[in-house]
Amino acid sequence: MAKESTTIDIGEPSTVTKSTSHAVVDEKKKSFVTAAGGGGDKRGLTIFDFLLRLAAIGITIGASSVMFTAEETLPFFTQFLQFQAGYDDFPTFQFFVIAIAIVASYLVLSLPFSIVTIVRPLAVAPRLILLISDTVVLTLTTAAAAAAASIVYLAHNGNTNTNWLPICQQFGDFCQTASTAVVAASISVVFFILLIVISAIALKRH
Amino acid sequence: MKSGQAEIAETSKGIQKRGLMSRRIAIFEFILRIIAFFNTISSAILMATTNETLPFFTQFIRFHADYNDLPALTFFVVANAVVSGYLILTLPLAFVHIVKNKTENSRILLIILDVAMVGLLASGAASAAAIVYLAHNGNNNTNWFAVCQQFNSFCERISGSLIGSFIAVVLLILLIILSAIAISRRH
Repeated sequence: MAKESTTIDIGEPSTVTKSTSHAVVDEKKKSFVTAAGGGGDKRGLTIFDFLLRLAAIGITIGASSVMFTAEETLPFFTQFLQFQAGYDDFPTFQFFVIAIAIVASYLVLSLPFSIVTIVRPLAVAPRLILLISDTVVLTLTTAAAAAAASIVYLAHNGNTNTNWLPICQQFGDFCQTASTAVVAASISVVFFILLIVISAIALKRH
Repeated sequence: MKSGQAEIAETSKGIQKRGLMSRRIAIFEFILRIIAFFNTISSAILMATTNETLPFFTQFIRFHADYNDLPALTFFVVANAVVSGYLILTLPLAFVHIVKNKTENSRILLIILDVAMVGLLASGAASAAAIVYLAHNGNNNTNWFAVCQQFNSFCERISGSLIGSFIAVVLLILLIILSAIAISRRH
Protein backbone atom coordinates (compact mmCIF):
# COMPACT_ATOMS: atom_id res chain seq x y z
CA MET A 1 0.00 0.00 0.00
CA ALA A 2 2.72 2.42 0.98
CA LYS A 3 4.68 1.51 -2.12
CA GLU A 4 1.65 2.14 -4.33
CA SER A 5 1.02 5.53 -2.86
CA THR A 6 4.64 6.56 -3.27
CA THR A 7 4.71 5.50 -6.90
CA ILE A 8 1.53 7.40 -7.53
CA ASP A 9 2.97 10.44 -5.85
CA ILE A 10 6.16 10.27 -7.87
CA GLY A 11 4.21 9.82 -11.11
CA GLU A 12 2.39 13.13 -11.05
CA PRO A 13 4.76 15.75 -9.69
CA SER A 14 7.32 15.11 -12.44
CA THR A 15 4.99 16.68 -15.00
CA VAL A 16 3.86 19.32 -12.58
CA THR A 17 7.40 20.40 -11.75
CA LYS A 18 8.25 20.41 -15.45
CA SER A 19 5.51 22.83 -16.29
CA THR A 20 6.06 24.97 -13.21
CA SER A 21 9.79 25.21 -13.88
CA HIS A 22 8.92 26.20 -17.42
CA ALA A 23 6.55 28.69 -15.85
CA VAL A 24 9.33 30.02 -13.66
CA VAL A 25 11.54 30.57 -16.69
CA ASP A 26 8.65 32.20 -18.49
CA GLU A 27 7.89 34.28 -15.45
CA LYS A 28 11.40 35.59 -15.36
CA LYS A 29 11.19 36.50 -19.01
CA LYS A 30 7.60 37.57 -19.48
CA SER A 31 6.03 37.47 -16.00
CA PHE A 32 3.13 35.27 -17.03
CA VAL A 33 1.27 33.02 -14.64
CA THR A 34 0.61 29.55 -15.99
CA ALA A 35 -1.66 27.00 -14.42
CA ALA A 36 -0.21 23.63 -13.56
CA GLY A 37 -0.30 20.73 -15.99
CA GLY A 38 -0.01 21.01 -19.77
CA GLY A 39 0.58 24.73 -20.05
CA GLY A 40 4.19 24.29 -21.12
CA ASP A 41 3.94 22.11 -24.21
CA LYS A 42 0.76 23.83 -25.34
CA ARG A 43 2.66 27.11 -25.39
CA GLY A 44 5.25 25.60 -27.72
CA LEU A 45 2.49 24.41 -30.03
CA THR A 46 0.79 27.80 -30.10
CA ILE A 47 4.03 29.64 -30.82
CA PHE A 48 4.55 27.25 -33.74
CA ASP A 49 0.96 28.02 -34.76
CA PHE A 50 1.72 31.76 -34.73
CA LEU A 51 4.86 31.30 -36.82
CA LEU A 52 2.96 29.12 -39.31
CA ARG A 53 0.37 31.86 -39.64
CA LEU A 54 3.07 34.42 -40.42
CA ALA A 55 4.57 32.13 -43.06
CA ALA A 56 1.14 31.45 -44.57
CA ILE A 57 0.47 35.21 -44.77
CA GLY A 58 3.65 35.65 -46.77
CA ILE A 59 2.91 32.78 -49.11
CA THR A 60 -0.72 33.70 -49.81
CA ILE A 61 0.10 37.35 -50.46
CA GLY A 62 2.86 36.14 -52.78
CA ALA A 63 0.55 33.75 -54.65
CA SER A 64 -2.16 36.35 -55.13
CA SER A 65 0.19 39.08 -56.32
CA VAL A 66 2.11 36.75 -58.64
CA MET A 67 -1.11 35.68 -60.35
CA PHE A 68 -2.32 39.29 -60.46
CA THR A 69 0.78 40.44 -62.30
CA ALA A 70 0.98 37.49 -64.70
CA GLU A 71 0.92 39.05 -68.11
CA GLU A 72 2.42 38.44 -71.47
CA THR A 73 2.21 40.26 -74.77
CA LEU A 74 3.42 38.39 -77.82
CA PRO A 75 5.97 40.29 -79.87
CA PHE A 76 4.10 40.12 -83.17
CA PHE A 77 0.85 41.95 -83.77
CA THR A 78 -1.27 42.76 -86.75
CA GLN A 79 -2.78 46.13 -87.39
CA PHE A 80 -5.95 45.26 -85.49
CA LEU A 81 -5.12 42.47 -83.05
CA GLN A 82 -2.58 42.27 -80.32
CA PHE A 83 -1.92 38.92 -78.69
CA GLN A 84 -2.11 39.39 -74.95
CA ALA A 85 -2.70 37.14 -72.00
CA GLY A 86 -3.54 38.32 -68.52
CA TYR A 87 -5.13 36.90 -65.40
CA ASP A 88 -8.45 38.52 -66.22
CA ASP A 89 -8.82 36.52 -69.40
CA PHE A 90 -9.75 33.55 -67.25
CA PRO A 91 -12.64 33.81 -64.76
CA THR A 92 -11.05 31.00 -62.76
CA PHE A 93 -7.88 33.02 -62.31
CA GLN A 94 -9.94 36.02 -61.23
CA PHE A 95 -11.59 33.82 -58.61
CA PHE A 96 -8.13 32.62 -57.57
CA VAL A 97 -6.74 36.12 -57.05
CA ILE A 98 -9.77 37.30 -55.07
CA ALA A 99 -10.05 34.15 -52.95
CA ILE A 100 -6.35 34.04 -52.02
CA ALA A 101 -6.47 37.74 -51.17
CA ILE A 102 -9.42 37.07 -48.86
CA VAL A 103 -7.49 34.23 -47.26
CA ALA A 104 -4.46 36.48 -46.70
CA SER A 105 -6.57 39.14 -44.99
CA TYR A 106 -8.25 36.46 -42.85
CA LEU A 107 -4.82 35.28 -41.72
CA VAL A 108 -3.83 38.81 -40.75
CA LEU A 109 -7.07 39.16 -38.78
CA SER A 110 -6.52 35.85 -37.02
CA LEU A 111 -3.10 36.87 -35.67
CA PRO A 112 -4.60 38.55 -32.54
CA PHE A 113 -6.55 35.36 -31.76
CA SER A 114 -3.35 33.38 -32.06
CA ILE A 115 -1.59 35.78 -29.70
CA VAL A 116 -4.46 35.41 -27.22
CA THR A 117 -4.04 31.63 -27.29
CA ILE A 118 -0.32 32.04 -26.59
CA VAL A 119 -1.00 34.33 -23.64
CA ARG A 120 -3.77 32.17 -22.20
CA PRO A 121 -2.98 28.55 -23.06
CA LEU A 122 -5.97 27.08 -21.29
CA ALA A 123 -8.67 29.21 -22.90
CA VAL A 124 -10.93 27.13 -25.11
CA ALA A 125 -13.01 29.74 -26.96
CA PRO A 126 -10.25 31.44 -29.04
CA ARG A 127 -8.83 28.10 -30.11
CA LEU A 128 -12.24 26.80 -31.10
CA ILE A 129 -13.00 29.96 -33.10
CA LEU A 130 -9.62 29.65 -34.82
CA LEU A 131 -10.24 26.00 -35.68
CA ILE A 132 -13.71 26.60 -37.11
CA SER A 133 -12.69 29.55 -39.25
CA ASP A 134 -9.47 27.79 -40.30
CA THR A 135 -11.50 24.86 -41.61
CA VAL A 136 -13.75 27.10 -43.68
CA VAL A 137 -10.80 29.04 -45.07
CA LEU A 138 -8.96 25.78 -45.82
CA THR A 139 -11.86 24.74 -48.06
CA LEU A 140 -11.83 28.11 -49.83
CA THR A 141 -8.08 27.97 -50.43
CA THR A 142 -8.22 24.38 -51.65
CA ALA A 143 -11.05 25.22 -54.03
CA ALA A 144 -9.23 28.24 -55.48
CA ALA A 145 -5.93 26.38 -55.86
CA ALA A 146 -7.56 23.31 -57.42
CA ALA A 147 -9.68 25.27 -59.90
CA ALA A 148 -6.68 27.31 -61.02
CA ALA A 149 -4.61 24.12 -61.22
CA SER A 150 -7.12 22.45 -63.53
CA ILE A 151 -7.10 25.48 -65.85
CA VAL A 152 -3.29 25.57 -65.80
CA TYR A 153 -3.21 21.85 -66.60
CA LEU A 154 -5.55 22.47 -69.50
CA ALA A 155 -3.39 25.33 -70.73
CA HIS A 156 -0.33 23.10 -70.62
CA ASN A 157 -1.80 20.00 -72.21
CA GLY A 158 -4.97 20.97 -74.05
CA ASN A 159 -7.70 18.46 -74.73
CA THR A 160 -8.05 16.67 -78.02
CA ASN A 161 -11.59 15.46 -77.41
CA THR A 162 -13.02 18.94 -76.95
CA ASN A 163 -10.63 20.64 -79.35
CA TRP A 164 -9.12 22.91 -76.69
CA LEU A 165 -5.63 23.96 -77.73
CA PRO A 166 -2.80 24.20 -75.20
CA ILE A 167 -2.04 27.91 -75.10
CA CYS A 168 1.20 27.48 -73.12
CA GLN A 169 3.00 26.75 -76.35
CA GLN A 170 2.50 30.38 -77.29
CA PHE A 171 2.31 32.12 -73.92
CA GLY A 172 5.20 30.43 -72.15
CA ASP A 173 5.93 33.13 -69.56
CA PHE A 174 2.31 33.58 -68.60
CA CYS A 175 1.92 29.86 -68.04
CA GLN A 176 5.06 29.72 -65.96
CA THR A 177 3.92 32.57 -63.70
CA ALA A 178 0.44 31.13 -63.27
CA SER A 179 1.86 27.72 -62.37
CA THR A 180 4.10 29.31 -59.73
CA ALA A 181 1.11 31.03 -58.14
CA VAL A 182 -0.83 27.75 -58.05
CA VAL A 183 2.09 25.93 -56.41
CA ALA A 184 2.37 28.65 -53.76
CA ALA A 185 -1.34 28.37 -52.98
CA SER A 186 -1.01 24.60 -52.62
CA ILE A 187 1.82 25.08 -50.10
CA SER A 188 -0.46 27.39 -48.12
CA VAL A 189 -3.07 24.59 -48.10
CA VAL A 190 -0.53 22.35 -46.37
CA PHE A 191 0.10 25.11 -43.84
CA PHE A 192 -3.61 25.35 -43.12
CA ILE A 193 -3.86 21.62 -42.53
CA LEU A 194 -1.01 21.88 -40.04
CA LEU A 195 -2.71 24.82 -38.31
CA ILE A 196 -5.95 22.88 -37.89
CA VAL A 197 -4.14 19.83 -36.52
CA ILE A 198 -2.23 22.01 -34.02
CA SER A 199 -5.45 23.64 -32.85
CA ALA A 200 -7.11 20.24 -32.45
CA ILE A 201 -4.20 18.85 -30.39
CA ALA A 202 -4.05 21.98 -28.25
CA LEU A 203 -7.80 21.79 -27.53
CA LYS A 204 -7.33 18.52 -25.75
CA ARG A 205 -7.56 18.90 -22.00
CA HIS A 206 -5.17 16.68 -20.10
CA MET B 1 -24.38 15.94 5.50
CA LYS B 2 -27.65 16.61 3.75
CA SER B 3 -26.25 19.57 1.79
CA GLY B 4 -23.18 17.46 0.94
CA GLN B 5 -25.41 14.68 -0.33
CA ALA B 6 -27.47 17.15 -2.32
CA GLU B 7 -24.27 18.53 -3.81
CA ILE B 8 -23.11 15.06 -4.79
CA ALA B 9 -26.49 14.31 -6.36
CA GLU B 10 -26.39 17.61 -8.23
CA THR B 11 -22.87 17.07 -9.59
CA SER B 12 -23.74 13.53 -10.65
CA LYS B 13 -26.82 14.86 -12.43
CA GLY B 14 -24.64 17.52 -14.02
CA ILE B 15 -22.19 14.88 -15.20
CA GLN B 16 -25.07 12.81 -16.56
CA LYS B 17 -26.39 15.83 -18.45
CA ARG B 18 -22.97 16.51 -19.94
CA GLY B 19 -22.66 12.84 -20.85
CA LEU B 20 -25.98 13.07 -22.60
CA MET B 21 -24.85 16.14 -24.56
CA SER B 22 -21.67 14.50 -25.80
CA ARG B 23 -23.64 11.40 -26.70
CA ARG B 24 -26.00 13.53 -28.75
CA ILE B 25 -23.04 15.11 -30.54
CA ALA B 26 -21.64 11.66 -31.33
CA ILE B 27 -24.98 10.42 -32.68
CA PHE B 28 -25.34 13.54 -34.83
CA GLU B 29 -21.82 12.97 -36.17
CA PHE B 30 -22.69 9.39 -37.05
CA ILE B 31 -25.77 10.49 -38.98
CA LEU B 32 -23.81 13.22 -40.80
CA ARG B 33 -21.22 10.67 -41.83
CA ILE B 34 -23.87 8.43 -43.36
CA ILE B 35 -25.43 11.33 -45.27
CA ALA B 36 -22.03 12.46 -46.55
CA PHE B 37 -21.26 8.90 -47.66
CA PHE B 38 -24.46 8.77 -49.72
CA ASN B 39 -23.69 12.13 -51.27
CA THR B 40 -20.16 11.25 -52.35
CA ILE B 41 -21.03 7.81 -53.68
CA SER B 42 -23.95 9.16 -55.69
CA SER B 43 -21.76 11.94 -57.09
CA ALA B 44 -19.10 9.46 -58.14
CA ILE B 45 -21.60 7.10 -59.75
CA LEU B 46 -23.47 9.89 -61.52
CA MET B 47 -20.27 11.32 -63.00
CA ALA B 48 -18.87 7.93 -63.96
CA THR B 49 -21.96 6.84 -65.85
CA THR B 50 -22.29 9.88 -68.08
CA ASN B 51 -21.70 9.44 -71.71
CA GLU B 52 -23.33 10.88 -74.73
CA THR B 53 -23.01 9.97 -78.35
CA LEU B 54 -24.27 12.48 -80.84
CA PRO B 55 -26.68 11.03 -83.40
CA PHE B 56 -24.67 12.03 -86.46
CA PHE B 57 -21.35 10.49 -87.31
CA THR B 58 -19.08 10.47 -90.33
CA GLN B 59 -17.36 7.40 -91.62
CA PHE B 60 -14.29 7.96 -89.50
CA ILE B 61 -15.26 10.10 -86.53
CA ARG B 62 -17.93 9.45 -83.96
CA PHE B 63 -18.87 12.30 -81.65
CA HIS B 64 -18.76 10.80 -78.20
CA ALA B 65 -18.34 12.47 -74.82
CA ASP B 66 -17.32 10.58 -71.74
CA TYR B 67 -16.05 11.50 -68.29
CA ASN B 68 -12.73 9.93 -69.28
CA ASP B 69 -12.19 12.59 -71.90
CA LEU B 70 -11.53 15.28 -69.31
CA PRO B 71 -8.84 14.48 -66.70
CA ALA B 72 -10.39 16.81 -64.14
CA LEU B 73 -13.61 14.78 -64.19
CA THR B 74 -11.63 11.56 -63.78
CA PHE B 75 -9.93 13.07 -60.73
CA PHE B 76 -13.36 14.07 -59.45
CA VAL B 77 -14.67 10.50 -59.70
CA VAL B 78 -11.57 9.08 -58.01
CA ALA B 79 -11.65 11.67 -55.19
CA ASN B 80 -15.32 11.04 -54.49
CA ALA B 81 -14.81 7.29 -54.50
CA VAL B 82 -11.86 7.56 -52.08
CA VAL B 83 -13.77 9.84 -49.71
CA SER B 84 -16.85 7.62 -49.74
CA GLY B 85 -14.67 4.60 -48.94
CA TYR B 86 -13.05 6.55 -46.11
CA LEU B 87 -16.45 7.54 -44.69
CA ILE B 88 -17.65 3.95 -44.69
CA LEU B 89 -14.46 2.79 -43.00
CA THR B 90 -14.75 5.40 -40.23
CA LEU B 91 -18.39 4.61 -39.49
CA PRO B 92 -17.40 1.96 -36.87
CA LEU B 93 -15.06 4.49 -35.25
CA ALA B 94 -17.89 7.02 -35.06
CA PHE B 95 -20.10 4.35 -33.53
CA VAL B 96 -17.45 3.67 -30.89
CA HIS B 97 -17.47 7.38 -30.04
CA ILE B 98 -21.16 7.13 -29.24
CA VAL B 99 -20.63 4.29 -26.82
CA LYS B 100 -17.29 5.10 -25.21
CA ASN B 101 -16.60 7.94 -22.78
CA LYS B 102 -12.98 9.00 -23.09
CA THR B 103 -12.52 9.44 -26.83
CA GLU B 104 -10.10 12.34 -27.15
CA ASN B 105 -7.18 10.64 -28.89
CA SER B 106 -9.28 8.84 -31.46
CA ARG B 107 -11.16 12.07 -32.09
CA ILE B 108 -7.89 13.84 -32.82
CA LEU B 109 -7.00 11.08 -35.30
CA LEU B 110 -10.44 11.47 -36.85
CA ILE B 111 -9.98 15.24 -37.18
CA ILE B 112 -6.64 14.80 -38.94
CA LEU B 113 -8.09 12.29 -41.41
CA ASP B 114 -11.21 14.40 -41.92
CA VAL B 115 -9.14 17.47 -42.72
CA ALA B 116 -7.16 15.52 -45.31
CA MET B 117 -10.39 14.23 -46.86
CA VAL B 118 -11.90 17.73 -46.94
CA GLY B 119 -8.83 18.90 -48.83
CA LEU B 120 -9.08 16.03 -51.33
CA LEU B 121 -12.82 16.38 -51.87
CA ALA B 122 -12.77 20.18 -52.16
CA SER B 123 -9.95 20.07 -54.69
CA GLY B 124 -11.73 17.42 -56.77
CA ALA B 125 -15.00 19.32 -56.72
CA ALA B 126 -13.34 22.66 -57.49
CA SER B 127 -11.29 21.40 -60.43
CA ALA B 128 -14.35 19.64 -61.90
CA ALA B 129 -16.38 22.83 -61.38
CA ALA B 130 -13.78 24.88 -63.25
CA ILE B 131 -13.87 22.47 -66.19
CA VAL B 132 -17.69 22.35 -66.17
CA TYR B 133 -17.80 26.16 -66.16
CA LEU B 134 -15.45 26.17 -69.11
CA ALA B 135 -17.58 23.61 -70.93
CA HIS B 136 -20.65 25.76 -70.38
CA ASN B 137 -19.17 29.13 -71.29
CA GLY B 138 -16.00 28.56 -73.28
CA ASN B 139 -13.26 31.14 -73.40
CA ASN B 140 -12.99 33.70 -76.18
CA ASN B 141 -9.44 34.71 -75.46
CA THR B 142 -7.99 31.23 -75.79
CA ASN B 143 -10.40 30.01 -78.47
CA TRP B 144 -11.75 27.28 -76.22
CA PHE B 145 -15.15 26.34 -77.52
CA ALA B 146 -18.13 25.79 -75.23
CA VAL B 147 -18.73 22.06 -75.53
CA CYS B 148 -22.15 22.12 -73.87
CA GLN B 149 -23.79 23.61 -76.92
CA GLN B 150 -23.46 20.23 -78.60
CA PHE B 151 -23.50 17.78 -75.73
CA ASN B 152 -26.54 18.88 -73.78
CA SER B 153 -27.44 15.96 -71.55
CA PHE B 154 -23.78 15.23 -70.84
CA CYS B 155 -23.32 18.75 -69.55
CA GLU B 156 -26.45 18.67 -67.43
CA ARG B 157 -25.43 15.44 -65.81
CA ILE B 158 -21.90 16.50 -64.95
CA SER B 159 -23.20 19.77 -63.53
CA GLY B 160 -25.72 17.90 -61.37
CA SER B 161 -23.16 15.51 -59.97
CA LEU B 162 -21.14 18.40 -58.61
CA ILE B 163 -23.92 19.29 -56.18
CA GLY B 164 -23.65 16.12 -54.13
CA SER B 165 -19.92 16.64 -53.79
CA PHE B 166 -20.30 20.21 -52.54
CA ILE B 167 -22.90 19.13 -49.97
CA ALA B 168 -20.50 16.45 -48.77
CA VAL B 169 -17.76 19.08 -48.36
CA VAL B 170 -20.04 21.15 -46.12
CA LEU B 171 -20.96 18.04 -44.11
CA LEU B 172 -17.31 17.13 -43.63
CA ILE B 173 -16.59 20.66 -42.36
CA LEU B 174 -19.46 20.24 -39.88
CA LEU B 175 -17.96 16.92 -38.79
CA ILE B 176 -14.60 18.54 -38.11
CA ILE B 177 -16.23 21.32 -36.09
CA LEU B 178 -18.29 18.83 -34.07
CA SER B 179 -15.24 16.73 -33.31
CA ALA B 180 -13.37 19.84 -32.15
CA ILE B 181 -16.27 20.85 -29.89
CA ALA B 182 -16.41 17.35 -28.47
CA ILE B 183 -12.67 17.41 -27.71
CA SER B 184 -12.86 20.78 -26.00
CA ARG B 185 -15.70 19.92 -23.65
CA ARG B 186 -15.04 19.64 -19.97
CA HIS B 187 -14.96 15.86 -19.72
